[in-house]
Amino acid sequence: MSTISTALRNFKEPTKEQITQNFFSLPSTPASIGKDARGADEEVEKIDINAVLSLGVEGEEDSYAGKLYLMAPYLAFSSLDKKSVRFTIPLSTVRRVERLNARAGVYALSLALWHGGKIIVQLTSLRPTADLFCALLRDALKIELQRGRMKSIKGFVKTCYSEVLVSGSAPTPSDEKDEASANEASESSYHGGLGLRFKFPGDPKKLREASKIKLWTTYLKTHGRNLSLLRYPQCTRLVQVGLPNRLRGEMWETLSGSLFLRYSNPGLYEQLLKENTGRTTTSTEDIEKDLHRSLPEYAGYQSEEGIGALRRVLQAYSFKNPELGYCQAMNILAAAILIYMSEEQAFWLLEVLCDRLLPGYYAPSMHGTLLDQRVFESLVQRCLPIIQDHFQAVDVQLSVASLPWFLSLFINSMPMVFAFRIVDCFFCMGPKVLFQVGLAILKINGEKLLQIQDDGGFLNLMRDYFASLGDSAHPHSTDPRARAITRFQELLLVSFREFSVITDDLILSERKRFRNEIIHSIETFSKRSAVRNLRSLGRFTKEQAGLVYDALYQAMCVIPPPPAQLPSPALLSEGVEEKPETRIQLRTFQYFLSEIASWARDEKIVSNGFQQRIDRDVAEHEFIDRLFFFWDTSCCGALSFQDLVSGLDGVMFNDLMENIEWFFNLHDKNKDGFLTKDEVLTVSESFLFIFRFEVGDAYLGAVSRFMTNAFEYGDALMADVDQSKEIEENGEPRSPLPLPSNQPYLNLATFRMVVLADEILESFFETDLSASFRLDPVAELELPPSSSGLLGEFWSSIATDSNKKMFNMFTDEIGKTIGKHQVIHRPSIGRYKTLDEPKARESLLTPGMRHSTSKSSLHSSPSSSSLRPSSPSQSLTVKVPSSMTLKEPISAVGYSPMVQAANAALLARPAFTIDDSKDDDDDDAEDDLEAGDNDDQVMDEVDAFLEAHDSGLTDADKEVAKDLLNAKPVK
Amino acid sequence: MADAASGSTDKSVQVKLVLLGEAAVGKSSVVLRFVSDEFQANKEPTIGAAFLTQKCRLEDRVLRYEIWDTAGQERFHSLAPMYYRNAQAAVVVYDITKASSLEKAKSWVKELQRQANPNIVIALTGNKLDLVQLSASSSGTPSSESEDEADDATATPGETPSSSGGKAESLRQVPREEAQAYATEAGLLFFETSAKTGEGIVDIFTEIAKKIPIEHILAAGGGIRRPRADNAQEGSVNLEESTNKPKDACNC
Repeated sequence: MSTISTALRNFKEPTKEQITQNFFSLPSTPASIGKDARGADEEVEKIDINAVLSLGVEGEEDSYAGKLYLMAPYLAFSSLDKKSVRFTIPLSTVRRVERLNARAGVYALSLALWHGGKIIVQLTSLRPTADLFCALLRDALKIELQRGRMKSIKGFVKTCYSEVLVSGSAPTPSDEKDEASANEASESSYHGGLGLRFKFPGDPKKLREASKIKLWTTYLKTHGRNLSLLRYPQCTRLVQVGLPNRLRGEMWETLSGSLFLRYSNPGLYEQLLKENTGRTTTSTEDIEKDLHRSLPEYAGYQSEEGIGALRRVLQAYSFKNPELGYCQAMNILAAAILIYMSEEQAFWLLEVLCDRLLPGYYAPSMHGTLLDQRVFESLVQRCLPIIQDHFQAVDVQLSVASLPWFLSLFINSMPMVFAFRIVDCFFCMGPKVLFQVGLAILKINGEKLLQIQDDGGFLNLMRDYFASLGDSAHPHSTDPRARAITRFQELLLVSFREFSVITDDLILSERKRFRNEIIHSIETFSKRSAVRNLRSLGRFTKEQAGLVYDALYQAMCVIPPPPAQLPSPALLSEGVEEKPETRIQLRTFQYFLSEIASWARDEKIVSNGFQQRIDRDVAEHEFIDRLFFFWDTSCCGALSFQDLVSGLDGVMFNDLMENIEWFFNLHDKNKDGFLTKDEVLTVSESFLFIFRFEVGDAYLGAVSRFMTNAFEYGDALMADVDQSKEIEENGEPRSPLPLPSNQPYLNLATFRMVVLADEILESFFETDLSASFRLDPVAELELPPSSSGLLGEFWSSIATDSNKKMFNMFTDEIGKTIGKHQVIHRPSIGRYKTLDEPKARESLLTPGMRHSTSKSSLHSSPSSSSLRPSSPSQSLTVKVPSSMTLKEPISAVGYSPMVQAANAALLARPAFTIDDSKDDDDDDAEDDLEAGDNDDQVMDEVDAFLEAHDSGLTDADKEVAKDLLNAKPVK
Repeated sequence: MADAASGSTDKSVQVKLVLLGEAAVGKSSVVLRFVSDEFQANKEPTIGAAFLTQKCRLEDRVLRYEIWDTAGQERFHSLAPMYYRNAQAAVVVYDITKASSLEKAKSWVKELQRQANPNIVIALTGNKLDLVQLSASSSGTPSSESEDEADDATATPGETPSSSGGKAESLRQVPREEAQAYATEAGLLFFETSAKTGEGIVDIFTEIAKKIPIEHILAAGGGIRRPRADNAQEGSVNLEESTNKPKDACNC
């Protein structure tokens, strides 16, 4: 019924390097798929260096101090404040690098980029570092040249609209009205979205498309574009006033970095579609259901053209990432971005969205969504405590409104024109924008929110607010300019002004703080529903079934099963569809059983003078395999949670007779009610396996008595059976003996008699067998530590399993040298702790001692009482320590005390707290709003967003930078 | 209506109702039919949950349904508790032409019975009845009333191949008796409906209204709400026929 996933356990906090890569929107794996098989030896070392960046055009822009990163095949820069200026450019766009001849002690490079621009970086680190950087840069450039990447640029940039813009061949803004029809012929070269054909949402005049295009054209000419866009403060400002529709798609992919993916994986999108033509999966079925429900009001999605594009993009993504597949809300995103970009562009942008910008949002467990909702809640608590307190008082859940905001980037909540402007900022400034806007929405509606009494009221309020975003924020103001400010402008203003404290770092650390909580609640939830959805609990309580689940979960963490699969379509012909169900293979089952049954594990009590610990190994034996297939009632070679529960139910609650029958059936392979002679031997092997670590040879004796009696009784009964058969089958001639070893031989009644003839076996079936299965709470699996900082990382790197092993081996070695090393196998049943024999052996063959007296005919059969199997006794490995009485182990887990102490210390560490960021007071908010009142023009609005940026340069630095502009190349 | 007046007849009792069920069984369509008496073949998918309200008159009381229409995709399952907490009623929908959807519905019922409000009233609803009916007759189901014929006229074209002639009944995968038996055993209200034709939809909500312990809600104090001005727009369910039977009429 359900799938069980251990995927969340594998989460790893991003490394510092990954965080840097994400910051610069770099693809997580630089090498593209298949195309270029670069040798590992060609990898260029990553390096970063302090640098001052200036443009090669005098008077154009200030210089900015920051850091230059070489992460082949990319070069990236960020100013010190991490937001004013930054760029990420593929090395292949660098046409020429020159060392500049400047004043003594100044080390500067001039880089000429393919679009004709020039940037000058002054390396301000120590000389040797600068030299190393230059050397590495040279190597990296050489590799790019060899790979022929330089040549590929020209063809690629033709797909970018920005090239059309700067070349001046773009339609003049006055054409805007009839653009849909006019330009179709000439536009084939660059990628564009459905908007070119079906019109973009919004009124181009109202959106000031023409002036925006003009501003962008100027910017792109001077600061580069597409692959080599340099992001100066002006760029961010222009994004914040809203991207022009025709450029929007390309800017989204440039700002998000999906452009690099498209650049380095040419043709992959088409290839994916081609390779998977006609394939149907759960995802493609889900996609089909939603195609007509994705922005259905947009004209493009009332046509087959739009629907087809949407289908292909979503399908291609589900093929690329089958684990994620398809999640509702992705259709909204895909439909939205397809208005502005081509299918291939949208495909890569979707990849960046799901993978990097909204991590885990659309995963099967939606853990990213849940996590960010939790983070958002905590930010509301921090920034707007009054609202959060009120919500708690009236039991309103923030997520009922905010979940769709995050999941569909506001596209489903707001009118599209406004949502797209938030999306613009989101791609430019990162995921923090969602939190900032979310907080601003709550803040602006603060007073009304304090009036609401329930979830419904909350949603209605939000709905009304979103519907009014185009209205004036100050309709009653006497100042016409203030009246012109829309509520949406106010929203952005509040978002970026008052919630600038919400930084990427803050989001990251908050996610870290709540991740374990979220994982825990997801796991608890899926456990609860797995238990609830069991078709039958058998005689288990829900808690006990929960323990079975825990053991299964643990086993799956250690030995992951293959991914849950739908039964093949051929099996579905009857129309009975089945949900994918998690089923475990034999190997996982062995581990699972070792958690539950004492005989299914090899436990060694090791003492070496320093510590006593229990080493636990998973036992392997035919008996366990037999059990696996015995429980596999649907015969598919794998067990579901239900199979395990039913299986355990079949053995854990039995009384003596039921246990004997269970054991008999387990070994009666063809279920004919008879054990063959071979199977009798197998039974004894099973006994020997279960008893392998018992102290003393009482059990050994019991098994050999079992053998003797079994064959004695069996042979005695043979005659009867043969006679009756002969009568039934009309005197068919039969040779009574010897019987082939694979013929029916021992029936249940006889088996029972043989077992009951022995006190040890009787007690085994009466209590010990059932008791050998124990549902104990499994030790809590360690989640990745939530603490960070030096100590946290230090411990997490030390307290790994392999280190524990090494530590154990080390102490063992010492123990051996000082003669204190001792290994004892822990018995599975442990009934007899000493060597005392429970009963004398003589009861074995004396008929008078037999429990059963019914079969008097047995006495008359003398026959082969001395039949003794030779093979099973070989596998017997009872090691008997002479002096040791077993003590109860200290720990059931097998960790050494020291490591445990370490773990305890780890857990005791206080959760990472975020630097106190001061909340802006309401007074501040008022001020800001007033400041905003004066804005009217587009560019005025722009300026309102940004604080004056500080490039962090001293005057002397600026002097030098200016100098560099005029510097001559070194010959 | 009685917006301005005061007195017990005008108190609207707020009832939180949640819709659950597998994806694409027609949850949103059921709600849409109830709230605005429309049928749209193309609906925005539900992200998380959609929220709608509708009033319903029962004897001298007015119930104001707050309807949470949840997303059906399996991965949204873990979000469902957010929506069904504190719910006084639930409509669990399955598709009578898809056997597996009843299984999912059963698991929702189990979950609700264990995790939700203990007094929750649950209605099991087999939707898409129009697909298994011979085009001319609606006689097969006791719950269908004459008023539904009127709705047939206004229904927009369906999302699934139209039910044509003799093949129709073979599309059915869940026998009415089977589902009915299960519902009785589990103590649920049971309906077979068609959001497309409107058949049986209003019955769900009126029957729930009858079964809901209104006094209990009133006693708890949370449910009384002044009717809001905008309710006039919301209340567009047009059921002239049902006014003839004031007892279970749903009239806003």
